[in-house]
Amino acid sequence: MRQPFLILLALFVPAALSAQSSQFGVRGLGFPGRGLAVRAMGSGGAFGLFDAESSQNPAALASVTVLASGFAITQGFRRVENPAGSASVRNTRFPQLTVAGPVRTLPVAVGFSFSNYTSRDFTLATSQTIDLRGTPVDVSDTFSSRGGLNDFRIAGSYRLGDSWAVGAGFHIISGSNRLTSTRVFDDPGFLSSRQRAELSYTGVGVSVGFSRLFGAKLALSALARSDGHLNADLDSTRTGTIDLPFSFGFGVRWRPVPALDLAGQTMVRTWSGANSDLLAMGGTGAQNTIEVAAGAEYTTDLRRPYHRPLRLGAHYATLPFTLVMGQQGHEFGVSAGSGLRFAQQRAGLDLAIEHVWRSEGVYSENGFLISLGVSVRP
Amino acid sequence: MKRYAAMLLAALALAGCQEKLTAPADCPALCPGGQPQIFDEVFTATPGADSSYSGYIQPHQARSLLVSNGLEGFEERALARFLTRADSVSVRDTLRGYTIDSVALSFTVAARDTNVNGLELLIYRIAPGFDSSSTFAGVAPAFVPESLIAAVPVPDTLNTGGVVRTVFQGADLSRVQISAADSGRLAVGIRLSAPVFTGVRLGAVAGGTGPLFTTYATLDVPDTGTAKLRTIALSTAFNTYVSEAPQVSDTTLLAVGGAPSSRSLLRFSLPPRILDSATIVRATLELTPTAPIVGLPTDVVQLEARSVLADVGGKSPVNTQPLRVPVDTLELGSTTVSIEAVRLIELWLGSNRPSALVLSLAPEGASFTKPVFHSTRAADPALRPRLRLSYLLSFPFETP
Repeated sequence: MRQPFLILLALFVPAALSAQSSQFGVRGLGFPGRGLAVRAMGSGGAFGLFDAESSQNPAALASVTVLASGFAITQGFRRVENPAGSASVRNTRFPQLTVAGPVRTLPVAVGFSFSNYTSRDFTLATSQTIDLRGTPVDVSDTFSSRGGLNDFRIAGSYRLGDSWAVGAGFHIISGSNRLTSTRVFDDPGFLSSRQRAELSYTGVGVSVGFSRLFGAKLALSALARSDGHLNADLDSTRTGTIDLPFSFGFGVRWRPVPALDLAGQTMVRTWSGANSDLLAMGGTGAQNTIEVAAGAEYTTDLRRPYHRPLRLGAHYATLPFTLVMGQQGHEFGVSAGSGLRFAQQRAGLDLAIEHVWRSEGVYSENGFLISLGVSVRP
Repeated sequence: MKRYAAMLLAALALAGCQEKLTAPADCPALCPGGQPQIFDEVFTATPGADSSYSGYIQPHQARSLLVSNGLEGFEERALARFLTRADSVSVRDTLRGYTIDSVALSFTVAARDTNVNGLELLIYRIAPGFDSSSTFAGVAPAFVPESLIAAVPVPDTLNTGGVVRTVFQGADLSRVQISAADSGRLAVGIRLSAPVFTGVRLGAVAGGTGPLFTTYATLDVPDTGTAKLRTIALSTAFNTYVSEAPQVSDTTLLAVGGAPSSRSLLRFSLPPRILDSATIVRATLELTPTAPIVGLPTDVVQLEARSVLADVGGKSPVNTQPLRVPVDTLELGSTTVSIEAVRLIELWLGSNRPSALVLSLAPEGASFTKPVFHSTRAADPALRPRLRLSYLLSFPFETP
C-alpha cells in the first residue's frame, strides 16, 4: 500500500504544491548539485559515498557486479520568499546519469557518470518606475539564466581483497549560463530591450577514495577530490579563472540487523578558494561548505533487498555562494524513498521525495523535490 | 504489471510538468550585474552636412493634380490632354464614320477639404500643345470665360476617391468639338471655384486615376444587323499642373515636398559606444519648421524618413523596408515635428551603413503641404534638427 500512495503523491503534488527555481543559485556558479542517485537521495544522501550509482566516491564502483546504468529525473516544487515578494515555481532537472560495470578476470570496475555540478536556472522579475525624458515610466525587468555546470566523470575502482577498495576518477567540468536581460516599458513609445550573453566554463578535476569493510556490519568510506580551476569565457572571450574547491568526505555505514542499514556521512568543500576570484569579478564571493547527512534503509524482504525497501534520511548543508556578503545560506532536508526491481532484476525504479528548507537572512525557500530513478542491467 | 505501469505513469507525470522559473527579484542581492541603465541623449545633425535636393517628382509625374483657388495665397491649375480620338471606327475591316451623340468628362477627386461645401471644377478648353515645361503664365490666357466649357459641381457628400462627371449633348457638343488643327486631341484646363480659399487633389495618370474623355457615338453602317452604338473611352495622355507662384529654394533650409519635389538629407555622427554596442529603445527625430505647417485641412500628409544605404548625396539609395520607414502625419499649424525613428536608427547599429537619413513627403509632388525646416545652419541651436536617443549600453553580464 505504501507504493501506490507514493505514486499518487507524485501525481498530485504538481498541482497542489508551489515552488521556485532556487534563488540561492543566482550568485556565483549557481546552486551546487550533490552527485547522488535517486536511491541515495531517498536516505538523505547518507549512503552517497557507498553508492555505485552516485558519483561521489570512485571507490564505490567496487560494489558493481554487472553492467548497470542509471538515470535520474528530479522535479522541484518550491516556494521562494524574499523582501520583494514571494512566488511559486517549479523546475525539472536530469541530475544524474551513470554507466558502470566490472572488468572480467580483474577485481576492477569502471564507469562514467554525468552529474549536475551546479545549477543556474532562474528568472527574476522586478518592476519599478523610472524617469525617462522627464516623464515617469513604468518598467518591468527580467533577468534570466539557463544552464549550469556538469561533471563528467570517468572512474575506476580496484578491490584489494575482501575488505578494501580504492578508486580514482577524472572529472571534466564544463557548462554554460545563457543569460538574458529584458526590460519592457509600459509606454508603447519605447521598445523593449533584450540583451543576451553566454558564459561558458571548462575545468578538470581528480578524485580518489577508498572504502573499508569491517566484517558484514560496518563499513567506512572516504573521499578526497580536487577540481582545479575553472576557465570562464564570456561570449568566447576569456574573462578569468575561478578556483574550484577541494572536497573531503567521510562516511560510515552500520548494519545492526540484516534488514536495516544505517549510514552517515559528511562532506567538506573549500569553496572559499573561489572567493577572491568571484569578488574580483564583482560577485559576492564564496565560503567553505559542510554537508552532513544521516539515513537508514529498511529492507522489507531480505530475499529481494532492492524490492520495496523503505529509505529515510535527513541532511544539512551550508551553501557556497552568498547572496549578501557576510552571510551564508544553508539547507536542511528530510527525505523518504523506495524502489523496486523487475524484469528478473534487470530493470529498476527508485523514487525519492525530499522536503527542503533553505534560508539566508531574509531570503528563504522551501518545497519538495521529487526524484525518479531508472536503472537498467542488460 | 499494473504497479509498473503506475510507476511509469508517475515518471511521465514528473517529466511532463512545465517549468515555471520566474520569481521576484530583490535587488541588489538577487540582481547580478545590477539593473539595466537607460541613457537619454540628444544628438544634433552633423553641422553643415544637411542638404535639400529637388527634382525627384515633377508635377506631371505626380499621382495627383493640385487645383486650388488661393489656398496658399496663389492659384494652381490642372491641365489634361486626352488620347487622340479617331474620326472613324473599324467595323468588319471597314472604317466607318460615326455621329456623336454625347460626350462625358470624368474627374476623380482624390482629396478635398470636407469642411468646405459648394466646390465647382471649372473646365476650360485649351490648346493641346502644353507639356511639362508649361508655366502658369503660359497657359493663363486660355482660362478665359469664352473657353469655359463646363462648371462641374463637386457633391458636398463626396469625400475622397469619388468621381465627378459632366455630360455634353445636343448643342453643348460644340464646346468639346475637336478641330482639325488639334489632330483629334482634346485638352482641358481645370480651375477651382469655391466660397473660400481651398483646394482639391484630382486623380492623375501616374496614380491610374487620370481624367477620362468618353464619346458615345452612332456608327454610319447600313447593315441593321450590326451594333451601331459605340462608346469611345479615351484616357489621359498627359497631365500636369501649374502653380501661380514658382517654387523658391533656400539652400540654408531643409525643404520637403513641393513640385518638383524636394527631399532633405540629414547626417548624424553617433559615437562608437552607441553604434557598436547600444540597444536603442526610443529614437525621436525632432525638426522645427520655419513656419507653422500649412496645407489642405482633412487631407493627410505624412513625413517619411528613410535610412541611407550608401551616402552619395541627393541620389543616395535608401532603405525601402516598410517597417523601417517611420512616418509622422503632419498636423496643420504645428510648430515642431517629431518622428519616432527607432526602427530606422537600428539599421545604423553594428553595420557600415552611414548614419544618415532622407526625409520625403507622402504623397510626394502632390500635396499642398510643403514643409520647410530649419537646418544645422540655424543660428539658434534649439532650432536645428536633432535626434533624441534613449538607449541601453551592454549589460554587465560578466558579474557572476
